[in-house]
Order: sequence, then structure tokens, then C-alpha cells
Amino acid sequence: MGRAPRKAADRIEQLKGVNRRTLLVGAGASAGLLLAWGIWPRTYRPNLNAAPDETVVNAFLKIDNAGRIIVIVPQSEMGQGVTTLLPQILADELGADWRTVGVQSAPISPLYANTLLAKQWLASDWSRLMGGAGDWAIDQYATRRALMLTGSGTSVPMFQEAYREAGAAARVLLCQAAAARWDLPWESCDISNGIISDGGQRTLKIGEVAAEAADFDLPEILPFRQGQADRLAGRDLPRLDTPSKIDGSHNFAGDVRLPDMLFASIRQGPIGDAVLAKVNEQPAKSVTGFLKLVRNERWVAAVATNWWAANKALDLSDPVFELRGPPVSSASIDAALEGAFSGSAGQRLYSQGDLKPLFDNATILASEFTVASGLHLALEPMCATARVSDDMVEIWMPTQAPALARAAIADALDVGEGSVTLYPLHAGGSFGRKMDFEAGVQAALIAREMGRSVQLLWSRLEDVIHDRPSAPAHARMAAKLGRNGTIEGWLAKVAAPCAMTQTWDRIAHGKLPHEASRDSARTSTRLAVAGMELPYALPNWAVDHYPADTGLPLGFTRANAHLHGAFITESFIDELAHQAGIEALSFRIQMLGGNSRLARCLTTVGAMGGWQGGIEGSGQGLAVHVMNGAYAAVMVEAALDGGKLSVGRIVAAIDGGEQVNPDIARQQVESGLIYGLALAMGASVPYANSMPARAILRRMDLPRLADIGEVTVELIRSTAAPAGLGDIGAPPVAPAIANALFTVTGQRFRNLPILSRT
Amino acid sequence: MTKFTVNDRPVQYRMDPETPLLWALRDASNLTGAKYGCGTGDCGACTVDIDGQAVRSCQVSIRETEGRFVTTIEGLSPDRGHPLQQVFAADNVSQCGYCVPGMIMAAAVLLKRNNDPGDEEIDAAITNICRCGIYPRLRGAIRRAGRIMRGEEQVEAAPPPGVKPEDAARTVPALRRP
Repeated sequence: MGRAPRKAADRIEQLKGVNRRTLLVGAGASAGLLLAWGIWPRTYRPNLNAAPDETVVNAFLKIDNAGRIIVIVPQSEMGQGVTTLLPQILADELGADWRTVGVQSAPISPLYANTLLAKQWLASDWSRLMGGAGDWAIDQYATRRALMLTGSGTSVPMFQEAYREAGAAARVLLCQAAAARWDLPWESCDISNGIISDGGQRTLKIGEVAAEAADFDLPEILPFRQGQADRLAGRDLPRLDTPSKIDGSHNFAGDVRLPDMLFASIRQGPIGDAVLAKVNEQPAKSVTGFLKLVRNERWVAAVATNWWAANKALDLSDPVFELRGPPVSSASIDAALEGAFSGSAGQRLYSQGDLKPLFDNATILASEFTVASGLHLALEPMCATARVSDDMVEIWMPTQAPALARAAIADALDVGEGSVTLYPLHAGGSFGRKMDFEAGVQAALIAREMGRSVQLLWSRLEDVIHDRPSAPAHARMAAKLGRNGTIEGWLAKVAAPCAMTQTWDRIAHGKLPHEASRDSARTSTRLAVAGMELPYALPNWAVDHYPADTGLPLGFTRANAHLHGAFITESFIDELAHQAGIEALSFRIQMLGGNSRLARCLTTVGAMGGWQGGIEGSGQGLAVHVMNGAYAAVMVEAALDGGKLSVGRIVAAIDGGEQVNPDIARQQVESGLIYGLALAMGASVPYANSMPARAILRRMDLPRLADIGEVTVELIRSTAAPAGLGDIGAPPVAPAIANALFTVTGQRFRNLPILSRT
Repeated sequence: MTKFTVNDRPVQYRMDPETPLLWALRDASNLTGAKYGCGTGDCGACTVDIDGQAVRSCQVSIRETEGRFVTTIEGLSPDRGHPLQQVFAADNVSQCGYCVPGMIMAAAVLLKRNNDPGDEEIDAAITNICRCGIYPRLRGAIRRAGRIMRGEEQVEAAPPPGVKPEDAARTVPALRRP
């Protein structure tokens, strides 16, 4: 947020004697918004810096006098290609030459608020709270708080119109400037491949009129570019981040080098409400390059002249923590989930038809499923670099929530947000983990204490202990089949904590991980069972959610609750198909009457994959999933080789609407499929005594190249609105594998990871 | 004594000789292309070439590196011109990019020994972990780089680093000379 909003917020704090947090949280929000409305600005101006030869066209675009198109991107690049996709949308509408397009990170501003993800995240609670005004209130809240967020595939759906308009506006302004020189009506001019023409012989380069263009006014109605010639949208343009990522020159947070910088490693104790009890600095002093231990209530960091020395000193100092409350273990997590079924907080969140008369005295098919927490295990551990002086704080870090990160850092250092500058860097993988930003806060505190720049890098061990994995879940499924083999009734009871609610409580409300875990356990929410909304047209079905406090702090993840939702739903569908004696693809198709896009995915994957009907011994399995405007059908061929899972083939057919860069879309689906494969194989640990039982990467059962067979992704041509495709590949893989293994073993695999507890 | 050669330059590190090579490269030489991902030799993000072998640089100390020749991703080519780098760009392989220097170094060592490897050889040589899932494009990219090395194929070059504005303006009609 800029200077003015900060002042306004301060004023409210003074007037009402409440702090910013209590003003804007949960139930307090409605009152807070009403109070704030008169004071907050209604419109926002771009707060971009520009070099002398650069012209700020709008919040999403600068153009320099050489003709370079500098696209401003607020979204976090984590490998999903967003720093190519959004510029490509803009450049297409502008008529730019792709070779002239570059990217800069956006500063924090309400102009870049991701209201779409904010609505997905907060709607279920706020709508209930505020009725029809809920969506409006979230829009306002997200904008005013400059809730810049990256996640859940929302980047393109949220911003594509803004980038199209930004490109169109630039094209019109540049044409106006050129037309003024030529004394023509601007409508007769156009831009193609970065060259402005009058429709005849005369041309100008964009850079020649960029500075003048800013003085013109836009027409009431912004015309979009017509015609298909020289368009950039829909083409497999090269990613803009590729060159620096193939020669080692790309700077991730751990690659930042500042003058006189020190390196730090941190220990935060076991999982739960743990405080630092004692630490012995004496042995650490024997390490060459070691400088100091920095102690905090809940962590201790060792600082040295290189990271290895810091980490070694930390080991030698043998920090001891005191854990308040019972330790977390796999057994306690399972017990909490089972106990949730008999708790009082369960609620029916989806309901269609009436199950009760149908289920009374009928033959019900029932199955139980368990899903373990899935770890992110991004290859880049949590990392941030900080420089703190008396009047300025600078942080280099990857973050999916930069405005909230900046607020938390300012809060921790007790300085105004205006004196904190956050430089958002690309994440070395995230999968949701970098929605949290504790490393940024810690780095700033350590740097302040040291009086020098500090780079904090979590060790892999620390990153595993405090991974904030996806939600574990237990499900009790029940269904009644009709005479003709259709599903007449379907009831899903799911016990699961809500990882998204916990994450929000941490990043927006400053709760500690164990507090967020505890406090979210009383309320059922659709976010915890989002993946269980059926794509099938069943007459009677319901989903009940039983919230649980497992004590394990959970986090935002790729596909979030869809991971367990799809596994449970699509595994059970397959069991019912088998019970009904109907081949699994037809069984699904017959229930997809109103869902032609998913039906098309399913028939496509069947044809491409050579679906043999799921017959015994085929090793083939299917699953489908729908989320956030994307449709997926996945077919796999799997086997058990000497007790080890082997997946020889994955075929996916995806309808994600009209994709601006089809190859990046395919790449994202591949990425999701491999993520899903990892969750089927492992990417999960047992817990004992509030620690993971394993923390070495080799023991996480992650897929390596040798585990990957043929992977085929078919994007179905579509003119529907584009969906983000980073998530959709992941959920259907594990159920497809479980279903495939049934055909070769005759056994149902109802746990995830698939071979975890058979 | 911790004297050896890094990217054709002699170096001597005034650090604890037990310091893993990775941290000497990263924190003393500012060669940050090799990444830390695990510290246990599992992920391969820190892979460098030592005397023609692909080595996890977090698993070898600078004492053990004495007298040897180390090549990091920074020293692989001056201009992103190595066939693997070209193919990684042409086939749109990298995603987040964190594992990529290690992947390229491991593959470069493989191709230096055998520029026509079979799938099994590739799988045995590339045990690096990628969480984004670049795997589906990886074998094909390594084989294609092999074809380029054998002179059987060419790819469109990825732009080299440090292109001067004047040179860019000469190639791209939309740009002006500054």
C-alpha cells in the first residue's frame, strides 16, 4: 500500500484504539470496512518508478525510448510461467515484437490485488457472515489491503482482462502520437511487430513516440485489436525466464550477494507450541567463520561468514526446545481425524436431493479412505536475504503474498510498512509453500541484530520439519446403486483440517502455526472438501465435513483440498463401477450428461490411451477431475514391481479453455501430473514426538527420471475462458493409479500414498 | 591446502578445509549456479564437473578437491551455447529453474563420455530430483543435445547474455538505437 492508505489506517487505529489486525479480521471486518470507507481512497495511481528514458503507460506497462516493452507483473514466478503468460497477453494486444518484451516485478499497490483468489479463499466464511454483500466486501478488503496473491491458478483468469486492456490502451496511445505527427485520424494507424504504421508506407518505431504517447487521452471505448495476422496469443513463444535459468545466472533468494553479507541457518524446534529452552554457544565458537547466535523466543539462528559454517555451528550449539502441549504423531493425527467424526462440528456442506429415505433399509456400499499429509519439498528451501538500516529495511525473497509479507516484516521490526522494501524474486519451486513468509521475518530480525546484511537459508531438515504440508484426511464413503447400475445416492463424510484457513490465519492474522491449527478446528468449511463436489449428475448426494485439530500446521498447496477430494471420489467411483459391472469409462460417461467438456476429456483420453475397459490384468486406470474452470481426464498404466509402484504411462486430456501459450499450458499439466505421481508414491512422512520420522530427501520416495515412463498431454481445443492449469494435473493421478492397481492385484488401494498402509 | 582450479582459474580458499565444495563455490567465489537443495547428495542441484565426473558438490570437501579441475554451470559455456543449454531453451524444459544447473551439469558429463546414450544410461546418469516435473521433457532433450553434438541437428539459438543495445537494434527492427 502506498503512503496515503497507511496514514489513513494509522488514523483509524488512533481514533478507535484498535489495531489494524483486529479491525480487519473475520467478524470484525464488516464493522471495520464501514468505518474505513470514508477515509480510504477510491482510486489508485500507479506507484511505478521510471528511469528517465521510460514512460509509464499504465500500472502494467512501461515503454522506453529504445522501444523496449517493460511489462509489470505482480504475480510470483514459481516455474508456472506467469512472467511469460501475462506479458504475452499484453504484447499480443499491443502488437509488440516478442524480442522487445521484458518483465519487472510490481511494487505493492492495491492496483494489483488478486480479488479472485481472495474470494475463493474467504468467500465461504464471509458470505455466510455478510450475506449478499460478502463478495463486495471481499473485493473491497482485498483491494484496500493490496492483497497481491499468487495461487490456485488464478493469475490468468484474474488479470487477463487487465493485461489486454493495458496493451490495447498502449496501442491506442502510441497510434494517437504517431497519427498526430502524420496529421491523420489515429484510427487508421496500427501496430504490428512493434512497428506503428499509417496503413500505407509511413512507419514509426514504438520507442520514437513512447514519450509523447503519455500525453494523449484514451477514448471512451477501448478498441481491441482485430485480425489474426502477427498475433502473439495462442503461440508457443519462448519463456522470458529461460535464458537466465539455463546458465546459472538467475538469482534466487539464496543467490543474492550484498557487500559484507553474512549467512545464517536457523532451528525452530519441534512441531507445535515450542519455545527455545537452552542453547550452548561455546562449542559453536570452534567453527571457523562463526560469529554469533541470534536467539528468539521460538528459534535460534547461527550466523557465520558462510552458510555451511553457520549450519555446523548451529548443530554444535545443540538447541533444546520446550514443547508445550502434547506432541504430534501419526497416531495422534489419525486419532484426531477419527475422533472428528463423532464431534459436534460436522456439517453438511453440499447437498442434492434427499439421501435419508434412499439409504433407509437399503443395501449400501461403503468404503473408508485415508490420505496422509503431502509435503511440498520445493528444491529451494525457505530463504530470504535482508538488509536493515535505521530508516530502511530491504528484503529479497520469493513470496506468493508480498503485501502480507511486508506487513509482517514491518510489524516484527516495529517500523512503518513504508520503510520496508520487498524485492520479490522467483521461487525455486513453491507449490504453495511460499504463501507463508516466516523466513523473511526471521532474516530481517537477524540482520537487525547483526547490523549487517544477512542471508537466511533453512536447512533441508528445517524445511521438512516445518513444511506446512497439505491436509490429511479420513473419509467414510457410502453409496447406493440402482438396478440399472446407476448411482442413486452418494454420501461422503470427510474428516480433515482446513489447510487454507490455517494458512490465512497465519499470513493475514499473524497467528502462530499451532494457534492457527487449533483455531481452525471448530468450523467446517467447503475449502476443506472442495475437491469432493461431484462433476457427475447424481440425483441424491451430499458431502459432510468434520473439522479436526491434528496439531500439525498445514499450508497452502498445489490443488489444496482437491488432492484428497479427487483421490477419495474417483477411487470410490471406480469401486462402484466394478460393483455395477459396468466398464469404468462408460460408467462415468453415463453420469456426465450436463458436462460435455469433461465427457470429451474422458473419451479423448480413452482413445489416446488405448483404454481396454479396465479389464483384469490390464493395469489401466482412469480418473477425472474438475477445478477452477479446468477439466481433466487421466489414464495411467501401473504395476507393482517387487512391491514397488511403477507407472509406465500417464495420458492426460485437458480442457482448460483458450490458452495464451499452449506449450506452457502442456508444461504445467505435465508438472501437475508429476506432482500427483509423487503424492501417490510418497512425498509424505510419518510423525513421532512432534518430528518427522524421516527428513532426508532420499527417503521421501520422490519420483526421479527413471520412475517416469511415457507422459502424454492432450490439450483439447477450446474457446472457453482460460483456466490456470498448474493445479489440474495433480489430483487425478493417484486415484487413476489406485484404480489401475486393482486390475492387476484385485485389491483396492484406499490410502495415500498408495503403498503406505496396505 | 585447498588449491585447485575452478572454471580454468586457480583458486585457494581460506576456509575450513572440511567445507563442502558447494559452499566454497557459492559463498566464497559467488558462483551461485550450483544450488543447495538437500546437503545429503540426494537432489543433485549442486552437481558440478570434477575431472570429468559429475559430482554432488555438497558431498566433497575443498580438502578433497585439492589439485583437481572443477567446472560449474558458469564455466560450461561463455554464452549459453552448450548444446544442452540450447535444447533446454528450444524444448522449453525448465520451469522454476532451481534444479536446472545441476541437471545440465550431470547431463553434460554424460554426453561428454557418450553423445548417443540410451534411455537406461540417461536414467542412470540423471538421478537428480526435480519437483516441478521437468522429467517428461528431459530424456528427449538430452538425446537431442546428443544429436546436436554429433552434428545431426541444429536448434535455434537462445540469446546469449550481454547483448548490447546497438546490436539488438541491428537485429530487431522494432528497436531503436539508444
